[in-house]
This record gives sequence, C-alpha cells and structure tokens, in this order.
Amino acid sequence: MAYMHIGKDFVPQDVPGKVTGRIKYSEDYARDGMVYARLLTSPIPHARVVNIDASAALAMEGVFGILTADDVYPDGEPDGTGLKILTNEPTLVGEPILALAAVDEKTAETALEAIIVTFERLPFVMDPVDSLAPGGPDAYTGGNTFVFREGFKSEKWTADQVAAFRAGSEPTAEPQQQFAYGELEAAFASSAYIYEGSFATAGYPHHSMEPRSAFAYWENGKLYLHGTSQSLTALAADMAGIVGVPIEDLVFINEATGGGFGQRARAGSIPSMAIPAKLSQKINRPVMMRVTREEEFTIGGARQGFQGWIKCGFKADGVMAAADMWILSDNGGKGGGGDAFSAADCISILYQAEAMRFRGTSIGSNTAHRGAQRGPGQNQIAPIIAPILDKAAAELGLDRLAIRMLNMPKNGDVGGPQRQPLTSAYMPEALNMGATMFNYPERITRSRQRKGSKVTGIGVGEGYHNAGRSGMDGIVRLMPDGRLAVHNGVGNLGTYSYASTSRAAAEVLQMPWERVDVISGRTDRHLPITSPQDGSNSIFTNTRTNWGAAQDLLVKMKEIAAMDLGGTPADYSVGDERIFKTADTTSGMTFAEIGQRGLQLGGKFTGEAEVPEDLNDFTKLSVSRLAGSALMGIFHDPRHNNNPPGFTATFIEIELDTETGKFDIIELVTIGECGTVVHPQGLKNQLVGGAVWGIGLSALEQHLYDPQNGLPASTGYWQSKVPTILDTPSKIQTGWVDLPDPENPVGARGIGEPSMGAVSAALTAAISDALDGHVFNAAPITADMILNHLAGITTDAVPLAQNNYRG
Amino acid sequence: MVATSHDVMPDIELYQPTDEANALALAGTLGRDGWLLGGGQDTFGWLKDRNKTPAAMIELTQIDAWKGIKEIADGIEIGAVTTLTEIANNPLVQSRYGLLAQAAGHVASPQIRNVGTLGGNLVQDARCWYYRRGLDCYRAGGNICYADSPQGLNREHAIFGASRCVAVSPSDTAPALVALEATMVVQSESGQRLIPAQDFFVGPARDIVNMTVLNAGEILTAIRIPNTWANAEFYFEKVADRNVWDFALVSVAAVMKVSGGVIEDARIACGAVECVPRRLEAVENALRGQQRSEQLANQAAAIASEGARPLNYNHFKVPLMENLVKRAVRGQA
Amino acid sequence: MNPKLTRRRFIKGVIASGAAATSTTIWYAANGADRPAGSVERLIRINVNGQVRSVDVAPQETLASTLRYKLGLTGTKLGCNRGECGACTVLVDSVPTYACSVLTHSMKNGLIETVEGLESPNGDLHPVQQAFVDELSPQCGYCTPGQIMAAVGLLRANPNPTREQARQGLAGNICRCGSYDSYLDGVMRAAQIG
Repeated sequence: MAYMHIGKDFVPQDVPGKVTGRIKYSEDYARDGMVYARLLTSPIPHARVVNIDASAALAMEGVFGILTADDVYPDGEPDGTGLKILTNEPTLVGEPILALAAVDEKTAETALEAIIVTFERLPFVMDPVDSLAPGGPDAYTGGNTFVFREGFKSEKWTADQVAAFRAGSEPTAEPQQQFAYGELEAAFASSAYIYEGSFATAGYPHHSMEPRSAFAYWENGKLYLHGTSQSLTALAADMAGIVGVPIEDLVFINEATGGGFGQRARAGSIPSMAIPAKLSQKINRPVMMRVTREEEFTIGGARQGFQGWIKCGFKADGVMAAADMWILSDNGGKGGGGDAFSAADCISILYQAEAMRFRGTSIGSNTAHRGAQRGPGQNQIAPIIAPILDKAAAELGLDRLAIRMLNMPKNGDVGGPQRQPLTSAYMPEALNMGATMFNYPERITRSRQRKGSKVTGIGVGEGYHNAGRSGMDGIVRLMPDGRLAVHNGVGNLGTYSYASTSRAAAEVLQMPWERVDVISGRTDRHLPITSPQDGSNSIFTNTRTNWGAAQDLLVKMKEIAAMDLGGTPADYSVGDERIFKTADTTSGMTFAEIGQRGLQLGGKFTGEAEVPEDLNDFTKLSVSRLAGSALMGIFHDPRHNNNPPGFTATFIEIELDTETGKFDIIELVTIGECGTVVHPQGLKNQLVGGAVWGIGLSALEQHLYDPQNGLPASTGYWQSKVPTILDTPSKIQTGWVDLPDPENPVGARGIGEPSMGAVSAALTAAISDALDGHVFNAAPITADMILNHLAGITTDAVPLAQNNYRG
Repeated sequence: MVATSHDVMPDIELYQPTDEANALALAGTLGRDGWLLGGGQDTFGWLKDRNKTPAAMIELTQIDAWKGIKEIADGIEIGAVTTLTEIANNPLVQSRYGLLAQAAGHVASPQIRNVGTLGGNLVQDARCWYYRRGLDCYRAGGNICYADSPQGLNREHAIFGASRCVAVSPSDTAPALVALEATMVVQSESGQRLIPAQDFFVGPARDIVNMTVLNAGEILTAIRIPNTWANAEFYFEKVADRNVWDFALVSVAAVMKVSGGVIEDARIACGAVECVPRRLEAVENALRGQQRSEQLANQAAAIASEGARPLNYNHFKVPLMENLVKRAVRGQA
Repeated sequence: MNPKLTRRRFIKGVIASGAAATSTTIWYAANGADRPAGSVERLIRINVNGQVRSVDVAPQETLASTLRYKLGLTGTKLGCNRGECGACTVLVDSVPTYACSVLTHSMKNGLIETVEGLESPNGDLHPVQQAFVDELSPQCGYCTPGQIMAAVGLLRANPNPTREQARQGLAGNICRCGSYDSYLDGVMRAAQIG
C-alpha cells in the first residue's frame, strides 16, 4: 500500500524543543508569587497518624501553610488500596501524610522537620507469603487483601500450605481469581514431557526520569494544573474529579512527560497532582510541588512481584498441550493490578496452550505503590516461560526455535479465557525474519561453546500485549487558510503517538505534513477524549479516531463542493489540497476556499448542529468550545472486533563469564510485529527501549526491603540498578514485519510492551543456555546468583523471596 | 524521626583557600566541623540528606600545590586534588603505573571522574546502605549494626575483618595504591606525616567511625608512588552489578615482576571484601619464585579466601574473590 | 493564609532563608576575629553560555540550582539530584559535569555551557542537536539535554570517536526510555557532520 504519510518518518513538532531545552516539564514553570511545596512522608511501613502538631512549623518565617489528609478527605479517606492523595494511615515508607508550602525548599524542609507527628505503629510485612502464614502480619488495617465490592479481608493459609508453597509445591489454597479452558487433565495425560516448578519475579520501580512534580494555581475560578502524565484528556477528565473541580474549570497543561511506563496514564495512579491544586486553593498562591527522586521511588509506582507455581505439558511433537499457573501477586502497600491474570492470558496467546488453568491471589506488603508497568504480567512471565520451553525442547529432541514456531500464534488463532480471536497475527513472519537477521542456524551451533572462562548462550524470546482499543473520539478542523488542525488528546510521553496518530488524518486528506498543525499539550486547546496511553494501544485506537474524524471532514468538504459546483458529493475526489470533480479536475475548490465556505455555512459544518450523540462528555465540551470556529470533522469511533495484538520476537547471543557471573550481549536482534508500521523511527525507539527494559527485568532490577525495619534499601537510581548504556549492547538490530491488520484503517497496532517481554525472555533463556540449561525460575538473575550456582552454594538461596535477595 | 526526604543543600559556609597554609589553618581550626571538599562527589549527598551536618566546607581544589602529576626522585607524586580523569588519561601514569590508570578509569561515571579527586576517592566513606540512610549504627556513633544480623541485607558487605561493623572499602584506587606500595602524604598545622598506603586505611576493630587514620585537622595532600613497581605486570579487575556507577562487589589490583614465566615478586590487594583494601600477603608468599601455571593460580585462590566469614547474602564473594585472584595470577581474564 | 504572616515577617523570612547564619560565622563574630580568609562572597560573576551574569549565589548552592532557579535556564534537568543519572549534565570548560553535584562557587571561574547555549546566533541547531533530531534520539526528552552536553563534550575532545568510544562517553547518562541505541546513532551522525 503506497501511503503519503503512513510508514514514513517525519520530525514530530516537539523534537526541536527537546533538543534545545525549550520544551517545558512541570518543574520548569514559574509564576510570580509562587511558593514551593514539599511532602512529609511516613518513615514507618505501617502506621496510624494519631496527632499532627504543626504549630512550630506554621510559625516559622517563610511558611505559608500545610495540607493534610483531613483537608483533602473531609468525609474520610476512600476505602480500598488505591494510592491516596494524602493519608493518615500510611501503609508504606514514604507515603505522603501532609504537604507544606514555603518560600523555598530549604525552608520547607526545615519546617517539615519541626512538625511533630505522633504515630501508632502497626504490624508490617515485606513478603506476601509471610502475610498468608497463620498469625502473619497484615499490610493493611482491615487485612492483607482488598476484594472488589467486598472490602478488606485477612486471608490466611495453614502453616502446611505455606510451607509446601515455599518448598515449591502447587498451592492448595482457594484462589481469589481463576479461569480455565480446555480439558486440563486430559491434556497433561497426553503430554510426553511435563515441567513443574515454583518461580519468583521481582517487582521494581518505574523510576521515570521526570519526578512527578506538579504546579498549580487558580485564576478566575479556574484551576491551571501543570502536570505530568502519559495521557492528556483521559487523565484530565478523571483528575478533575480527584481535585473536586468541574471539568469545565480545569485546564490541564502537559506538553511533555518524562516517561510514564504505565504509572502516569490514569489519574488514580498519580493523585499527588491534586496536592498543589488543593494547597494552592487553600493558601491562595501558585504552588510548585517538587517531588524528589526518593519520593518518586515510593509513590511513583512499581511492578507487582510474582511468587508462583507453573506446570506445563508438551506433547511428543512439541505442542504445548497444557499450562497450569498459580500466581501470588505482591500488591505492595498501595495500588495493585491484574498482572497475574494477564500473565496467564499472555501464555495462552503466545504459545496457544490447548488447555489452561489460571489461579491467582493478590496479597499486600508494606512495600512500594504497585501499578501497571510496561507489560504488567505479560512481561513478568516472559523470563519464566522461556527457559521452560527450552527445557521441553531439549527433552523432546527439538530445536528451541522449532518448538516456538510450532506453538506460535498465527492468523485465525484465538487466545485468553474467552478464546477471543486475534485480529491478525504474523508471528511466523516475525520469527523467520529474526532468525534470518540473527543467522540463527549458525549461531545456535555455538550454544554452550567455551572459550576460557567464557561460555556462549543463545536465547529466543517472544513478547505479547493487547495492542488496541476503540470507542474514542476525534476532532479535526479545516482552517480558513486551508491548514488542517488535528486536535489530539493523546499524551506526549515519548512515543510520539500524539503526532504519528495524527498522520492518519493527514493521510485521508492527502494533506502535506507541513500544512498540518497537531493541537495538543493542554486541555484549553479543546481536545477529544482518548483512551489512556497505556497498554500499547495508542497507535491503533487513535489512528481509528483521527482517520474517522478526517473522513467526517472529507464528507462535509465534498458536500460543500457539490453545493457550490453542482453534482453530488460522490462525484468529487481529494488531492493537491483541493476537492475537485473526478470527471473534470479543473472544476474544484481549494482547501482554503472550502474552509472559508464551511465557516460561512455554520450549523453542522462548524460543530454547531448535528454533533454525534455518542461523543464522550469531555469531547462534547471541547466541541462546544470550538463550535463556530472552523469547518470541523467530528467522530465517535464504534467498537472494534476481537483482540488486536502486539508481538515481538527476539534473538540474543551472550557470552557469560563463569568466573565473574557477568555477561556481554554479543548480538541482539528484535523484530516488531505490530501491523502496518506508521512511524518507523518511532517503532525503532520502542524496540530498542523495550530491549533495555527487558535487560533490566532479567538481569538487574529488583526491590529490596529490610525485613527488620521495613525500610527500602534500593530507592535511588544507583541502588535500583536501572540499566546504563554500558549494560546494553552497542547496537541493537531491529526489524519489523509491516503487514496490515484488518481492524484498523491503516492496518496499525501497538508495540511498546511486547518489545520488552521478548528481550527479557530471550536473555533469560540465553543465561540458562550458558549454564547448561539450569533454570533459575527467577527474575532478575544477578551475578551473585550465577556465581552461587556455579560454586554450588545454596546457603543464601531463598527461592520464593520477595522484596529481598533470592540468593 | 525523619519524615521528609531531604533533597536540597542546607545552609553551610564555604571556604575556598588558595594557599596551603590557609587551608591547613582552616582545617586545624574547624576540625571535624570543617568538611574537606575535593570534587564533592561523596559530599553533597550527605549534606542534602542532612545525615551529616558540618558547619563549613573547606574546598581544596584551588590549591595548585596539591594538584597535578610530577616525577620525583624515586617515582611520581600525584596531588590529592588531581581529578580521576586526569590520572586515568595521564601518559606517565598510563605508561608506568597502568594499574592506577585503570583503577581510576573505573570509578563511578565519566562526569564524576571529571571532578572527583584521587584524595576524595581514597578517603570516601562506607557505602553500607543502612549507614548512608542515616540510621544510628556503630559507624554513625550508635551501638548496633543492622547489616550483620540474621535478616540484614548484606550482599555487598564484608567477608573479612568484621568487628561489629561489616561495611567494605568502596574505593577502586585504594587497592591499586596498596599494590603499588604508595605512600600517603598527610599534612596539618603541626607538620607532615608519611603513611604507607596499607596503613592509611583502618578497620572497625581499631576505629569504627572512620575509614582512614586521618585525624581532625589533617589533610591528605599527595600520593607518592615509588619506582619499585613501575612498568611491572599489572592486573586490575572490578566486578560490579552494572558496568558504570556501581561500586565493586569484589575488585583485585595486582602488580607482579615476572621473568621467564617465574613470578619473582608480587603484591596483590582486593577491594570490597573488607573494610580496608585487603592485602593478600599469604598469596604473595605462595607466588614468590613460582612458575606461573593454572595450578598455581588455583592454589593462590584457595589461600586468598582462607578465613573468609561470609554473611547471609554474600557467600558469592568467596568464589568471586578466588576467581579474580586466579585471573591476577594468570595475568589475564 | 497564615494570619501571622505579615508582609514584614515575610520579607524577613526571605532574607533569613538565604543568609548563611552558621555557627562558624557566629564563632568568629563572638571571638572578635575578622571574617576568615577564603570564605566566599555571595555576589559573583559567572559566564554562562558566553554571557557574564552577576548572580547572588549562596555558598552551598549547586550549579543546577543556580541555573534553574536564578537564571531561568530550565533545560538542565533534575533527574535524581544525586549524581546518579546525568540529566543535569552541563559543560564547564568543555568538561561534562553533573550540575547537581558541584557548587556554583566551585565552578565560577569556568566557562559554563548549558543546552540553551548551543544554537548558533541565527538559530541553527548545533550538529549534535540536529543529529539527534534526524535520528529521533530523544523519546520522553527528559535526559536529552544531559545527553547532548555529554555528547558535545565528547566530540570536542574526540571529534572522530568509534561507536564504542561514544558509548563510553555517554556512560554517565541514564536514559530510562532506553534510547541508548538511538543516541549513539545520533552521536555517530554528528561526528560525521562535524
């Protein structure tokens, strides 16, 4: 398909601002009279605030006021594990209790030290399994788990059940959640090889580079909130509710966000933005709340850790007959997520298990705030399943690429507990492309070859995430000068999808890109609602909306041309910034002429009449504010069918040094399968970026909390072991399949998350390969674990440890 | 109880003396209340966290006499305020004392090396995360160790020389200078002391709150490296979790005189296994006069780890230390 | 609004929060000694992006703080404020430096360059900036100014680096988005442009 814009690179309009330092993040703003807010956070993992004496602080020079949980929740804090704006019952070290505004940060810190907070210490727990033990501490005051619509419960297993799980057996307790399909027992009975074992994957923080500072002020009854988010309109719509201001009175400003990775997509993940808003209202001054790196660690979100058990059965020919998973998710001190369910769902899609059972339970620990993180669930299970596949291949005498090709998802396949059809799936092409680029047949012969103390490991990995949603809205305008304004509510978190999805609108109108203005960045530019920018969905969801809005505009443009030049709209074509008669190209109107005519005509042409009924309320508000300003295309996207997937296939060769436990990545080939490629450079960035995240998951990053006092040991960048450039290969080879998906007008699907899972899977498989197929059943696998394994040291091993070393 | 994350520099005075006498007078007057500032890369974190509260900083970077690398009668002298980047890139150091160039080049990250000084790298404080967090442990003047406990997170801590405190020496250059038989030049208002590198560092059995023997009012002003090991065979290796920024899990710095495959003499020190750079004298004795071989390397490794007493999470340091010593004996990875 | 906070007390507060009323100064005052030789004057002239500016700088003020809050140069970012991420990298006499981890007073005699100073007077982007645009090196953009300054420093010292040398040069800059590959492509491209 030859497109004007789709599949071509361009310079998104925010890039010059990023390289010149001109683009502003929340912390970069200033305003006359601005004061600085800093947080007082809990030093105790679980406590109740009995009393707050801020009198000394409030009497200090340069202090303007404080905001407490009582201010924010006059009717009591909401029930549940969701992160609170402020709280009087912290359930993790670092949870914000109050905020203080002062003339500068130094004064704020000194004043905060003068506040006397009296705490009642409550029991705390760092490992969810310890909480399940009889008499074990509960992370929350009501229990150790929160069941939707039922409330807090204290779930306990018997001592035997806990011991058996720790020893690696299948849990026998009743799960909170489960699904199953197929004939599980029969499938295992037909298996020639069965793998069974427990596993543990670490949670770790998102650590977006931009801390979630926020800046707020009120003017003429309107709240101006400079925030940070992955989404723009999706988050703003809900933020208004959290702050308690009507949506018409909120202007949410967010030109760029310094990384989201799942924890800035929804207002519920980032309630701290309400703090400067409410404090500003209270003290009548602009408030800049700066969040420090340590605070970003605690409230900024983290992945759920898994402690689980898995059993996989493979037939003699290598087909995955059955998969049975029991996953205990670490819900942390606040937040949570459906990671475990997603992990099982992912296995059913990537490996097409004929029968499957999933059982899962979420238990809290007084550790970090948990929430969706780049492939939540799908990516935790990636490093676990990959070595199991390789072990099955070895046992059955199959090549490890062959076993994956035998089980991979293809066009027509279904997945998940509902057996939902995939909209399309080109995993065969992805694996073949990767194998060719990697020269798999040659490299695989070097598996386990030794060169002194170094040994080669080869790994193949696959990643998946659902990659598209629908039901959102689009708005485009044809201005009187003939330029196209694409109103895009997509957030700018570094994926450039706010711009690349706008290309779909330009494509419909064959509009040169330099004649297009993407209107985004702040809600007072009147933008449509979009889905949150998480779950790899934006490209799919918003090319649908922008395409649809542009089609609506095109229909109106042709109507205008027919009105003025005769005939019916069907007689007209678009091209060269004109609408012209197909049969007589000389008869036509320029875009500018049509834009002006539309403005004259008003009514339905300018959003003043016949606005689609099913538009989201947020979009309706934006349309009402734009009405009468220009010729408009307005669109509400109906629902798509089936499950549009994002896939990645990765091949990796490492050289592992058996004397140091360290490895070098010799070659990394990663192939994206995400339908039609809309923005090649953008896709490449998601592939290499996901690769770095995959390396972090498999080899470096983990939460560490001291069980003696509940303090986090790994708060900053250094201790958190965020991958550096020297921990990643010098060149990552990328490729993409670029075949269209039928549920999207340009054939596109998303990619941001599977690009991580595939690399994590491949890397863990390669490490395992280098160690003669030893399965750690853990992530990350760090140098000390490798050294201990090679030296036969088992004293430090704690197989199901969570928030701690695994040995 | 500290309930806010401290993140900005508190009020503190700054002195920028331009001559030695002035600097020494300030150090003498202020004592421990005057924080000696080289590049500051192990300073501002403490001060921002408000876990250390000196009254003033005495910045030493404007004292030319304490900067630079020069030849002296029987070796070279490096001013303590010389940056690590300058040392790593210096032709003289690279050609004659490559061990130190390598060690300096492995410290932290490029930007930290660009302002961080050799002196600062040598006198830097322990990196035990409990201590750094401001808890009241022995090293902080209290009477408990959080790391040396049944549940302590002590993966990065010591396997030798524990004495209530189990923090390790985090410096990359320290083991190199111990191997090179360097001498520390220490000055104060009352005069100058010359201290062998090995005696410059001190463990918790003798002093649990300080990492070096520097008294209040004393400044490390220069490091002298004798000709003894110039152009010898060097082996430096640092194993850390990440390949930049991270402190060593274990490091090794070795100098050897080898002739015809026979190790005539050797000095080896390991970092990050003890509170001080650990000189492996027993290994050196076993190597002296022996033919280099894999068998010799294995013997040396076994001697190196003798007496190690791992904690709950750092057993891996034993095989890692053994392997690094093996590689040092082999002369290659 | 705090009823005790009159305008007079507010102004006193502003001044008090900036003054370094430390025990040392008091010691010297109490003992009748003159201000000790070598202590810093607050009002200094610093050269930032070729412009000499007079700024009131507290003794303990980090360079990042001065740049962002006193000079309004917000291109230099605070990612961690601890020297662990590189987002605050600036050049001082062409040497890449973590602005959050040096004192302004320590750098006052140097030529300080931030990302804002790289464009030519007529608005043309610096080759590194242009190369990063062409390769789409930035993703979220937060680490970008730091990466650019580290790259500029690298290329000044080594105009024709190998990819591995470029990789070592950027080693002190974290990119959480994981755009390292694209940044390296950018640096190699900039080296070719010259």
